[in-house]
Amino acid sequence: MTDGPLIVQSDKTLLLEIDHERAQDCRKAIAPFAELERSPEHIHTYRLTPLGLWNARAAGHDAEQVVDTLLEYSRYAVPHSLLVDVAETMARYGRLRLEKHPTHGLTLATTDRPVLEEVLRAKKVKGMIGERIDDDTVVVHASERGNLKQALLKIGWPAEDYAGYVDGEAHPIELDESDWTLRDYQRDAAESFWHGGSGVVVLPCGAGKTLVGASAMAHAKATTLILVTNTVSARQWKDELVRRTSLTEDEIGEYSGAVKEVRPVTIATYQVLTMKRKGVYPHLELLDARDWGLIVYDEVHLLPAPIFRMTADLQARRRIGLTATLVREDGREGDVFSLIGPKRYDAPWKDIESQGWIAPADCVEVRVTLPDGERLAYATSEPEERYRIASCTHRKVDVVRELVERHAHQPTLVIGQYLEQLDELAAALDAPVIKGETSVKERQRLFDAFRSGEERLLVVSKVANFSIDLPDAEVAIQVSGSFGSRQEEAQRLGRLLRPGHDGKVARFYTVVSRDTVDAEFAQNRQRFLAEQGYAYRIVDAEDIADLPT
Amino acid sequence: MSAEGYRTLADQLRGWPDARLSRLLTARPDLATPAPHDSGQLASRAATRSSLLRALDQLTRLELCVLDALVVAGQTTRDELVSIVHAEPAATSAALEHLTDLALVWESPTGPRVLSGVAEGLAGGPGAGVSGLRSRSPEPVPPEAVAKRLAELSAPARTLLEHVLDHGGEATTGTSRHTVTTDEAATPAEELLARRLLVPRGGGSVVLPGEVGLVLRGGRTTTDRVDDLPRLPTVERSAAMVDKVAAGAAFEAVRRVELLLDHWGTQPPTALRSGGLGVRDLRAASVLLHVDEPTTALLVETASAAGLLATGHTPDGEAAWLPTDELDRWSTRSPAERWWVLARAWWDSPRLPGLVGTRDPAGKTWNALAPELAGVHQVETRHLALRELGALPPGEVLASGTGLPALAARVAWLRPRRPRTRADQVAWAISEAEALGVAGLGGLASYARGLVGGRDDTAAGVAALDGLMPPPVDHVLLQADLTAVAPGPLESTLAKRLQLLADVESRGGATVYRFTASSVRRALDTGWSAVEVHDFISSVSRTPVPQPLTYLVDDTARTFGSIRVGHAEAFLRADDETALSEVLHHPKASSLGLRRIAPTVLVSATPLDVLLPRLRELGAAPVVEGPDGTVRVARPDQLRARTPRDRRPEGLRAARGTATASAVVTAVRAGDRAASNRPAGAGQALSPSGSLAALREAVETGASVLIGYVDNHGTRSERVVDPRSVEGGTLTAHDHRADDLRSFAVHRITSVAPVTG
Repeated sequence: MTDGPLIVQSDKTLLLEIDHERAQDCRKAIAPFAELERSPEHIHTYRLTPLGLWNARAAGHDAEQVVDTLLEYSRYAVPHSLLVDVAETMARYGRLRLEKHPTHGLTLATTDRPVLEEVLRAKKVKGMIGERIDDDTVVVHASERGNLKQALLKIGWPAEDYAGYVDGEAHPIELDESDWTLRDYQRDAAESFWHGGSGVVVLPCGAGKTLVGASAMAHAKATTLILVTNTVSARQWKDELVRRTSLTEDEIGEYSGAVKEVRPVTIATYQVLTMKRKGVYPHLELLDARDWGLIVYDEVHLLPAPIFRMTADLQARRRIGLTATLVREDGREGDVFSLIGPKRYDAPWKDIESQGWIAPADCVEVRVTLPDGERLAYATSEPEERYRIASCTHRKVDVVRELVERHAHQPTLVIGQYLEQLDELAAALDAPVIKGETSVKERQRLFDAFRSGEERLLVVSKVANFSIDLPDAEVAIQVSGSFGSRQEEAQRLGRLLRPGHDGKVARFYTVVSRDTVDAEFAQNRQRFLAEQGYAYRIVDAEDIADLPT
Repeated sequence: MSAEGYRTLADQLRGWPDARLSRLLTARPDLATPAPHDSGQLASRAATRSSLLRALDQLTRLELCVLDALVVAGQTTRDELVSIVHAEPAATSAALEHLTDLALVWESPTGPRVLSGVAEGLAGGPGAGVSGLRSRSPEPVPPEAVAKRLAELSAPARTLLEHVLDHGGEATTGTSRHTVTTDEAATPAEELLARRLLVPRGGGSVVLPGEVGLVLRGGRTTTDRVDDLPRLPTVERSAAMVDKVAAGAAFEAVRRVELLLDHWGTQPPTALRSGGLGVRDLRAASVLLHVDEPTTALLVETASAAGLLATGHTPDGEAAWLPTDELDRWSTRSPAERWWVLARAWWDSPRLPGLVGTRDPAGKTWNALAPELAGVHQVETRHLALRELGALPPGEVLASGTGLPALAARVAWLRPRRPRTRADQVAWAISEAEALGVAGLGGLASYARGLVGGRDDTAAGVAALDGLMPPPVDHVLLQADLTAVAPGPLESTLAKRLQLLADVESRGGATVYRFTASSVRRALDTGWSAVEVHDFISSVSRTPVPQPLTYLVDDTARTFGSIRVGHAEAFLRADDETALSEVLHHPKASSLGLRRIAPTVLVSATPLDVLLPRLRELGAAPVVEGPDGTVRVARPDQLRARTPRDRRPEGLRAARGTATASAVVTAVRAGDRAASNRPAGAGQALSPSGSLAALREAVETGASVLIGYVDNHGTRSERVVDPRSVEGGTLTAHDHRADDLRSFAVHRITSVAPVTG
């Protein structure tokens, strides 16, 4: 038996003991094919999925390497069936190829005839396939390129796409490296993407994904459509492109709710594309507005589902996806794989380490007990009312006041969902409140005051929380909220809170009503945050005084 | 051995030293039970068909062929025998010696002789491992003469002859004339008959004499060599690697059996009426264990063979597969010891889990644990196959791909008289061995050599395996996401306790547990206190206990038991607390099972209808409260019974009465007649043929006869009947007493007498 850091479970999870001396090596070795699922303090959990293995295949790893890695680092004997399964799964990728035939156009070809036979008999594939050219080749309707890839992935035979791309309308783009240089891994990432055709580049936050995108544009030298999550990030992209490339401000257009410009390089938000009016997507035509040579998807893991449907038709154009993680809340990793492309580049772990693995905030859940009257009201209320009743208890006001007093000299945000509760809090704390109806001007003034330290306490609604220019705080107190995507929650949390300049740990308080749905939601969040490696504590409202400051 | 040979086998046995005789009795144990009286009896027992077949089954291809050659040659010498067996002379001699040891061959003055009966036992062609040649004629034609006659044959005749040779040496000739001269021969068959290359044997069939077959096959009984044991293709693989892989499988097998049986202990699968395990239950088990269904079937079968699983009854009385009490003893042992129990049970199990999921000849799917799922040869095949693995040179294992067929061929050489399914059986033996960790990567695990070699060195094997298995750990790593990871197999008692407190999320080399409010509550339900839970958690954790876990336990304990549930038949409530106390403490109220659960509420274990009068006796004046809280007043019910009603129509009853009466009368009359006709000197017993004759006569004449008849229960009766027919040993007659046609078995008729008057 070797004393490896890795334990391979029969349910295809890999447990990595991170205090082990070889843990770092092992993490590097398994990263290409296993997805990190949880990273709490002692044991990280990775999972082997078909998609992860196919991604590894697309990136040039073969089954033997994967098996060797598992055997090398595994502490115990690896279940034989699992190794066989890995080899079989990886062998499935690439048996089918989408190719461009000189006379027949788009075709699906195979190296393994029974596979093609199996696929052609599948119901899902039926309408997308045309006539049979020979035993190993079949015509594919050009418009079904994306849908076919999706369907093939679903039935377990992902196709490799060799059908090539249209060049698009040429447009000169060069990197302007006069006062900076592209980092090695950024160059590698852009090049592996370019050689792979289309695909996803995985880089951690802050590793310069924008530059990888710019570099990809410089490779393509063609008109480019960039899809980003929101307007802030659209602006950031624009600034960055102007600064780092030969592009000028006039060549870059913004296509968002506020502005609708179509220029050689156009940056559009997901929101504007997915906006629906009377059952149609009015801005969808942007996709065909120009002969785009490259499409950049920023934050692929947040790509809204309707975009997938739209991108299914864009298979002839080069696509690059940029993201920090391939894990999607909605489980549509398969669509990313088939419609944007396989993972082309994964950041070397060393660079992520240099980012540090410190928990960015100390999360504290404060539990209050509902007074008897409210408890009864809660118990007898309609299910849809329950959350509001539970989260708007008056007990929370006292708790928040106490917390605010404890952090009297630190910039503090109180975040909530229900306006009446916010108003009540604002009155009790004697602090300004920012809601959806607050004018932009007033909002700006308050934010500036907060930044300068003039105002050290703000009560903000969820609307304000989305706002692009929300200032950093050292303390955040959440009294109610709709916890949608957990991933988003963590990102927001990371963005909101920065460690204090004097090394003080930022704090994130959540005030929760005990024994209600409020606490149930909190449990999910607790699990997620703990899995992400955040410190997490639960205290009773009566024990706040015992907390360290 | 005496140079001049023995007169009979018994003679030879008498002449053998004791050691050799006891060797024979060891090799053929059936000869020794019951102990034969003398050598004569031993010799005759050795020649009985069943004993012979059993001995033949244990022979290798070479030995069978030597024996077969002896049968073909008939009266022969040792040298001639060696010359006609297609093998190394030394190998043939050794085989002959072994056959002599087994008392299948004995030394006559004229040379080795096979035991009578062997020839019949060897019937069959190459499929049974023998040559398929007939015996030589009593006066065989010399080989040279045969060769000359063969040379004269036309091509079609030669082909025909070879065809007959290859198909059992026997044929029918159809229209061919059996007595023709070489000149008259018109067809290939006649050509052969004329030259005595085929000999008529009566009934239109001809045989090919052994001497002709020998010449056709170049002077030997077979064309291919019979002493070349098929070689096993091997590849190099270090023994350490084999052990590691096998030990991994062994560990997994033990873990899975334990997991499955633990699971079945609480949720047992139904036992099918036929005794097996349902397909759905097997599938569920395979999902639980994360293995495919064949492996699951193997584990289930092995557990059953080891006595850890048996049919029993659930509390509902349904037949189910349940872990036995042996499991509790088994679970306390070390993993290596547990494995040894499983491996030993598997080693000698005739079960065929490899068939599970396939269909039997009748098209019925084989279920795991079905009683019929066993094969008599499976154990032997398994032993042979694995011993062959064990005999591979060190550092070499069976090559994947070509190895398995070669192994099957080798086993077929060692025991040719075995059924066709052997290739499957060998494959099962190997795949089962690898799944259980007896073998790995096509090589035998070192710790299993004792088991396979038949040596009883359990301790050594267990010790060797112990060193290879992951050592049990006594701690877990607790994490803030409320999971606990045991980085190895937990000690058994620890695992049991932890399983109570947390849900298992992932299994394998390590185990991941998750604490949830409901899992902690489960532990509290079984009597743990919060303090005990805290103590246990901190004692098993090697890392600091995360605060959320501590909080979870406290929070669960806080609400635990805050609402209490109990059983009561009735309640008593009153705003007057004193009145309730009065009732509660009344000396005569003790039998009412009253208990105070609140100042104004009592509950009682007595049902309301008893309680109410008793309370009144005690001087209380209770009123009954309805489910909606209102007071119920009621006067005593007046009791009424239902009017009995006869549903049968009058007419039917009358008809029945009449019928019954007339049947009785008929019977009485018949009895009267029987009595009046009874002959003076009791019923005369007739010989069977006599009674048949008398009955036939009665059929012809249409007369009534009195018969004596013994029925199924041995009761004698006499009846007056009108015989209608006598056929197939049955008399059909009109019975006067029953007034109906009845059948009587002729052999039960004791007397037949004519009815007079």
